[in-house]
Amino acid sequence: MIQFSHVSKIYPNGTVALKDVTLEIQQGEFVAIIGLSGAGKSTLIKLINKMTDVTEGSLIVNKSDVRRLQGAELRRFRRRIGIVFQSFNLINRTSVINNVLAARVADMNFFSTLLGLYSRDDKLLALESLDNVGILEKAYSRADQLSGGQQQRVALARTLAQKPSIILADEPVASLDPITANQIMKDFKRINVDHNITVIANMHHVDMALKYANRVIGINKGEIVFDGPSSQVNEDLLKKIYGREITDEDIMFKKTLGE
Amino acid sequence: MKPAILEMYDKRPRTLVRNTILFVLMAVILVWSWETMDYGGINENGAVVARNILDALIRPNEAWLFNFTATGTSIPLLMLETVAIGFLGTILGAILALPFAFLSARNIVGPVMSNVGNTIISIIRTFPIFILGLMFIRVTGPGPLAGVLTIGIASIGMISKLYVEIIEDIDKGILLALDATGATRFQKIRYGIIPQLTANFISTAIYRFEINVRNATILGLVGAGGIGFTLIAALGAYRWKDAAAALWGIIVVVLVIEIISTKIRSKLVSGE
Amino acid sequence: MNEKQKKRSTGDSESERLKRPRPVKAFLDRLAARNLAHRTTTLSNGATIVRPFSWSLTNSLIILVIFLFFWDMIVGAYFDKYDFMIFVRRIPNFLNILQKMWTEFDWSYFDFVVDPMVDTIQMALLGTAIGAVFSLPVAFLASANIVKSKIVSGVVKTILSFVRTFPTLVYAAILAFIFGYGTLIGVLATAIFTFGILTKMLFEVIETLDLSSFVAIEATGASKGKAFITSVIPQIMGSFLSFTLYSIEINIRSSAILGYVGAGGVGIMLDENMNWRRYGNIGVILVVLFVSVLIIENISRYLRKKLS
Ligand SMILES: Nc1ncnc2c1ncn2[C@@H]1O[C@H](COP(=O)(O)OP(=O)(O)O)[C@@H](O)[C@H]1O
Ligand SMILES: [Mg+2]
Repeated sequence: MIQFSHVSKIYPNGTVALKDVTLEIQQGEFVAIIGLSGAGKSTLIKLINKMTDVTEGSLIVNKSDVRRLQGAELRRFRRRIGIVFQSFNLINRTSVINNVLAARVADMNFFSTLLGLYSRDDKLLALESLDNVGILEKAYSRADQLSGGQQQRVALARTLAQKPSIILADEPVASLDPITANQIMKDFKRINVDHNITVIANMHHVDMALKYANRVIGINKGEIVFDGPSSQVNEDLLKKIYGREITDEDIMFKKTLGE
Repeated sequence: MKPAILEMYDKRPRTLVRNTILFVLMAVILVWSWETMDYGGINENGAVVARNILDALIRPNEAWLFNFTATGTSIPLLMLETVAIGFLGTILGAILALPFAFLSARNIVGPVMSNVGNTIISIIRTFPIFILGLMFIRVTGPGPLAGVLTIGIASIGMISKLYVEIIEDIDKGILLALDATGATRFQKIRYGIIPQLTANFISTAIYRFEINVRNATILGLVGAGGIGFTLIAALGAYRWKDAAAALWGIIVVVLVIEIISTKIRSKLVSGE
Repeated sequence: MNEKQKKRSTGDSESERLKRPRPVKAFLDRLAARNLAHRTTTLSNGATIVRPFSWSLTNSLIILVIFLFFWDMIVGAYFDKYDFMIFVRRIPNFLNILQKMWTEFDWSYFDFVVDPMVDTIQMALLGTAIGAVFSLPVAFLASANIVKSKIVSGVVKTILSFVRTFPTLVYAAILAFIFGYGTLIGVLATAIFTFGILTKMLFEVIETLDLSSFVAIEATGASKGKAFITSVIPQIMGSFLSFTLYSIEINIRSSAILGYVGAGGVGIMLDENMNWRRYGNIGVILVVLFVSVLIIENISRYLRKKLS
């Protein structure tokens, strides 16, 4: 469970990225966060695994007080939280399976890490994760030779190899074409349902958010302006979240929707 | 566990054996090299000398270091001569390298000639700098002119090798277009290639200039000019403060040249 | 059939050519890329502009003035003292030596060359290995994007610049007074030199690296050290090996003269034979040196291809 209460985030340069955020996310939810660019979506996600620090308020994730975590304790906490980035963040010049196995080094000793000695169990887990996202046969290819969609699947498999309870995703499909984006979102959905893993995804495109998430959180200028089931989202609400009319740009499937 | 996963697991590349063999091979070579190392013996004297040298570096012979006149030993003038040797040598080498490079570039003369050319370049590179120095001294007598000629010939190898790489990287489209117009080989070089190459060539020469100035600091050892003779003579006579003055001269000049050269080079190569 | 074969063979040589290790070129390209990024500005409307650089007339004039100054200083001064005809008449001296290397060439000298040549190669290999081992961790410390403190990376870079100012021979000459004559000083001098150039080449690579994967692995709960090993090392391993192999090639050539200051190896014999004007022996040494370098270069090229 994730509990924000009265959380604010002010960056060192004075930018107020989040203002008095209070929300609760239960285990197994699929939450989409929508809002304009600069609204504070990425900041909200980064707070959860402490890639950036809370300025005010309290944040409890999996019963840990995130503000207090540091050092070894923080690293242990992070092992159960996967994160997927818009730009995939894979290791270039390295095989797909080694990219996935990289998620296991947190649990390994320094010597094995140095020599890249992964256990049989870890390798099987990595392959299983790849199978889970449908690219098992690419295990021994080089990661940077895959297509964008395949690379994002590798990134997703990497988080799965962490055996996470939460997966955070920062605009995971924003740099993909609509068809591929749809497939990746289906992967997220399946993982969410099959393994009861909480998924929190920042979405640039409204239609994708509504299609896959059970719950939508709308942010405008650092404040939560909507929090409810996807079914309740309508034109008026979107106008409130975006502070303007919805345009083609906000919808990924604009063209294909007309079919 | 799904059979497909186990099957994939069995297909994993076995690198452990190969890596272990490579590692052991490397270790054996290095241990064997180490075993045969010999040295004069690190005695107490060595430690004293080390301290004396460090002391001298903190307090070098300032009379030499800041003497800007031609009377007596002047580190600035010796370094100026060293830089001059490096500079003129680089220009000589950069020009002499041109024919070698064009006659060794695969995309211009074809594979057979290219191999011949590359072999000639390798032969020239084999001549150690001191051998060339002594050979030129038989022509000019001792002094910096021998140094210039030495540096010039000694840099042909690396410069032409880098030139060749640049030439082989040029945009083939232009050459094809010139072929279509029935251009001669000379015209192909003059109008299709040279414009693409100039900046990269100059950049290469400047890169080699840095190395050449460093090399020019040791030519004095065989009498081919520069600061090297002063340095080695001072070391040989245990005059640490004098040697330290020469070392500081080298440090300052080489550092300044490296800074300037890096600036110019990166501007040049990316300026197009 | 014949034509087909021809086609295939040229295709092979083409791909061969592309795979050839080019560490210096790669290094220069990276510098250039960095500068290009530096001079590229993105306008508010999203367009990018690159400030141009041109080799101006002023630059050419500056070079010309420096050239004339140096020319007068060395070449001018020389011909003030000596007659030009004397110089011309002595040119054959140079060619004579070359000719004698050939005509007086005597294979029986080969037996004397083998051991010193092995010493020379060992000095180069060991020195390169030691320098390379130290260069990796220090390159990290010198990389501004990894050590977040500009002061640390700046200080390390400055020290490295100092290390790089001396050629291997100067280090050997100084070390000879501390450790005595022998191959050890050759190894140490080579190690110091290699460390200097390799570290520089490496941090140039690291500083242009995409560190996003590092961030991602740190986010899985791995420590900074483990994240380095898993995400940064694989990305620089290719460059590291290629630069190291390139250093071996440089170092074999430079260790061939280290004997002049007492570091052992083939240099002592070059010195002796030049003094005694036994040019045939010099010829034998040069052939052995040529073949050794050729072998090492080819092994190096093969290894790099294998590793990539
Ligand atoms: N590291 C940072 N330092 C200072 N300001 C930041 C930093 N990261 C983000 N911001 C600012 O915080 C606000 C929210 O940013 P972000 O969370 O990235 O928004 P979003 O992901 O919704 O586009 C923006 O105004 C942004 O400029
Ligand atoms: Mg964002």
